[in-house]
Amino acid sequence: MRIAQVIGRITLNLQDPSFKGGRWLLVSPLDSSRMNDACNTDAVVSKEFSLVTYDSLGAGEGDVVGIVEGAEAMAPFDHPIPIDAITVAIFDSIFYQPPTTSLAGQAI
Amino acid sequence: MIHAQVVGHAVSSHCHPSLAGQKMLLCQTIDADGKLAGAPMVAIDLYGAGMHSKVFISTDGTAARNVVHDPKSPIRNFIQGVID
Repeated sequence: MRIAQVIGRITLNLQDPSFKGGRWLLVSPLDSSRMNDACNTDAVVSKEFSLVTYDSLGAGEGDVVGIVEGAEAMAPFDHPIPIDAITVAIFDSIFYQPPTTSLAGQAI
Repeated sequence: MIHAQVVGHAVSSHCHPSLAGQKMLLCQTIDADGKLAGAPMVAIDLYGAGMHSKVFISTDGTAARNVVHDPKSPIRNFIQGVID
């Protein structure tokens, strides 16, 4: 599960019939520098590629969401649906604190 | 399986029902020379991995669905083992 911040919403007018009633979010994956304060700041587009995810939770702009990619994104559906990214969690807070010395003992 | 280190945790009150009540830990992969690489990812913790402990993370969805006993769960990453 990757952590990303919602930067926008997408509306489709021509779509696969199985997408009926779907809600789409444009999300930008968080990098480690903004991990601690992303939950209470506005969305900032990161260097990584933004992606469109299917939204089943009702996340709004600026929310920090957990997205799952790959075949597991189709697991919650009982009809075949061609998606590869879905939001599975809206995070209230994230605590990120890497160790100060790396495993081999030198300071990072 | 990914060799990673626990570097934090995440709290979510609004998530997929199969995730409710699961402990979500932030893990970062460890590269060849022991440094942390890449952006942290979230893995479900079942065995009580402590902070900064080294763990193995599985990315297989089928195994994850069996672990949380929910055939419709979209989880992929869960902590399989804590390395001594």
